Amino acid sequence: MTWRRWSIVLHRDIGYLAVGLTLAYAISGLAVNHRADWNPNYRISKEFVNIAPITAATTPEVVAAVVSRLGLEGTPKNTFQPDPQTLQLFYKAKVVHVDLPTGKVMVERTVPRRVLYEMNQLHLNGPKKAWTYVADLYAIALILLAVTGLFVLKGRLGITGRGGWLTAAGVLIPAVAWFLYLR
Amino acid sequence: MNIIRASALALAVGAMSASLAIAQDAKAYGKPLSLKTATPISAILKNPKSFEGKRVQVEGLIVEVCEERGCWIKIASDKPFESIRFKVEDGVITFPMEARGKLVLAEGIVAVKSMTREEAVEQARYMAEERGTLKSFDPATIKGPVTDIQIMGDGARVK
Repeated sequence: MTWRRWSIVLHRDIGYLAVGLTLAYAISGLAVNHRADWNPNYRISKEFVNIAPITAATTPEVVAAVVSRLGLEGTPKNTFQPDPQTLQLFYKAKVVHVDLPTGKVMVERTVPRRVLYEMNQLHLNGPKKAWTYVADLYAIALILLAVTGLFVLKGRLGITGRGGWLTAAGVLIPAVAWFLYLR
Repeated sequence: MNIIRASALALAVGAMSASLAIAQDAKAYGKPLSLKTATPISAILKNPKSFEGKRVQVEGLIVEVCEERGCWIKIASDKPFESIRFKVEDGVITFPMEARGKLVLAEGIVAVKSMTREEAVEQARYMAEERGTLKSFDPATIKGPVTDIQIMGDGARVK
């Protein structure tokens, strides 16, 4: 088999293998690239309600009064007072923040974004361990895809013709970015 | 072609192993803990200079998690109305929001930084941005210079 035939075979089959990871990494890339504008991992909702001011003396009494007045189901798994005026109740998927003297309450619900959360974890190597090596293999696969892709076609559409000009334009993108932003 | 089939199988097995590893070690973050005993957070907050630069293990309730990157948590002290920030390197450890309300055993180096009011405002602004509360951030709430005490962490176990 010629080296060009090897390029075609490798490019085709590594391309098939890399489709799943490429989609996951690309979608996650779009999501985390704009994290200044949104939270790519969680849907966080904040609901504001008012209850009567809480004047109970001890923390258990305060917690009981808040749970009762808000009609919350079950006792919180934990509580915390960052200051004497504020109480936080921790439930499985929500945190209730209470301003005790005024009775102002914020119920904050946090739900992971389905699929996107997992994609982001894999993209940013959250799991570490064996996933590090899977990601390394994927990076090597991308290098092979890039290099073999240069030699798939020959002639005026290949690397010695139109393909060469497009490759040069593509290389210029990071070079210009470096010149404008990182130099 | 057999090589490619074998590679595909190896990749799939590797991915499945990684997934299993996530499920089994979901509560361990970063390096293994090395200290035998925990230091009360209140002791660190009371006398931070004596702990500065020292490795400590702390235990407490996670009361806040960095919304944007999961790169820090706030751990409640053993005394009322106190907490300490446990900062980890971005991307090395990522705490999930679900960690709020859970107990943590965490290790790292105590860092103490004296900040002017301007520096404190800047840090508070950055924190507000991470919390997603920048719009309601009021610099006037910071009255003067601040001593910032945090633990630069590298390992934690969330219970």
